[in-house]
This record gives sequence, C-alpha cells and structure tokens, in this order.
Amino acid sequence: MRQADDRLKALFAMDEPPTRDTAFSTAVMEKVMRRRFLEDVALLCGLSVAGGGAFWLLWPALQPVVVSLSQGLAPALSAIALAAGALGGRARSALGLES
Amino acid sequence: MEGLDESLVAAAQAGSTEAFSRLVERHQQPLRAFLRRACGDWAQADDLAQETFLAAWSRIGRLKAGASVRAWLCGIGYNKHLTAVRSAGRERARATVYEADRDATIDAPAEDKLALERAMAELPAEQRACVALCLAADFSHAEAAEALDMPLGTVKSHVSRGRARLLQALGVCDEAS
Repeated sequence: MRQADDRLKALFAMDEPPTRDTAFSTAVMEKVMRRRFLEDVALLCGLSVAGGGAFWLLWPALQPVVVSLSQGLAPALSAIALAAGALGGRARSALGLES
Repeated sequence: MEGLDESLVAAAQAGSTEAFSRLVERHQQPLRAFLRRACGDWAQADDLAQETFLAAWSRIGRLKAGASVRAWLCGIGYNKHLTAVRSAGRERARATVYEADRDATIDAPAEDKLALERAMAELPAEQRACVALCLAADFSHAEAAEALDMPLGTVKSHVSRGRARLLQALGVCDEAS
C-alpha cells in the first residue's frame, strides 16, 4: 500500500509549480494593490459626496455664522497676511534667495 | 512555520500588504498544485489561484487565529473552481484541454504520468479534489474535509475510490484495496 502511494505521490510531484515564483507573486500583488487603490478611491469619493451633501444640507444654518466670522476676522487676517509677507521677504533677502 | 503564518495573517489583517505578499509567496505552490490537479488546465489553474488570493485579501479579516492558511486558501480555490465549472458547463471540454496541455508541456512524457493524468481527468470533480489534497498534497482527511466543506466520511470515501481508480489506471495491484 505504501509503495503504491509513494508511486502516486512521485507521479503527482512531477508537475509541482516552483517553490518560489516571483512572476506569479508579483502578478498577484499588482492585482491586490490595484484593488486596494480602487477601494481607497471609492472610499474617498464616498466621503467627499457625503461631506458635500452634509455641507449642502447644513449651509442655511452655517451661512450666518461664516459671514459673521469672516467679517469679524477679516482685519486681523489681513494684518497677519501682510506681516507674513513682509517677514518672508526679509528672510529671503537675508538668505540671499532674491536675485 | 504555522507560527510564522499566524503572525503574517495577523499583520495582513491589520492591513499590511507586505505580510500578505509573504503569504502569497509561501502558499502559491500548494494552491497552484492543487488547482492544477483539480481542474487540469494549468493556465486556468493559475488564473483561479490569482483570483483566490484576491478573494483571500478581501476576506483575510474573517480567517480565525490558528486556522490552517493552506486549507483556507484551497477551500476558496476549490469553490472558485466549482463556480467556473458550473458557469461554463464544460468540465468535459476542460478535461480534453488538460490532456492536450499535458502532451505539449511534459518534456519526457512518461507513460505512467500520462495514464495518471487521464485517470485524474476522468474522476468526478469532488473525488479529484479529495485525491489532489490527500494523496498529492499530504492533507489529512480532516483538513481536506474542512477545506472542501465536505463531511469527513465523504472525503475518506472519495480518496479511497479515487485512489483505487488511479492505481487501476497505472496497472498497480494494491493489496489494501
């Protein structure tokens, strides 16, 4: 019985694939990475659509808050932007980055 | 080796593609060998093996800790093979391709090897899968039953009958049968 089984096994072993097959493994992982990429894209699209929808629904409630905030913060933000521009210019001069 | 599989599975479940890649490297040979024997067509077997790994990537979270990875993969592969057979409805044609493929790819076609391949092609799909796992790949009957989702007794019976038919095709007189 053992001899017969060994013979069967030896015959089966003749068409074993290689222990390491880089081409096969690479092909599989390419497909896996492609699927993962598509899943990520689908997730991001879903989140974007959901976020856009939520923003659209909440906009009537958010609009007054955004308007009042922008009016209140506009002078301060302008001053900060000017100061940042001036500091940036001086820093570039000091570093010799300006021609 | 089982411990290494467990840690690789845990890492893959956490989202590591590198760990999954190592699982692919470690298990591509037994899975492809099983599918080659189960479906006969080498090119189709490799396609099914790729699909199996893709499905495994999606379902890796469901694999229980300590479960046999190769049995799990062979189970997925076997189901894919059955789906392909059912949807195409051309198992017989595939068996013909099997033989033609063999004739073209074997360097020194031994008579025994060809006889074995023809006998394998003639076995019913379930019997062939049991033989491929238990006689060719050293699966225990219990492991094969788990992989193929069959009762243990059915697996034993398929292996015993399949083995007898293969040995008969080879002209081997088996004292045990």
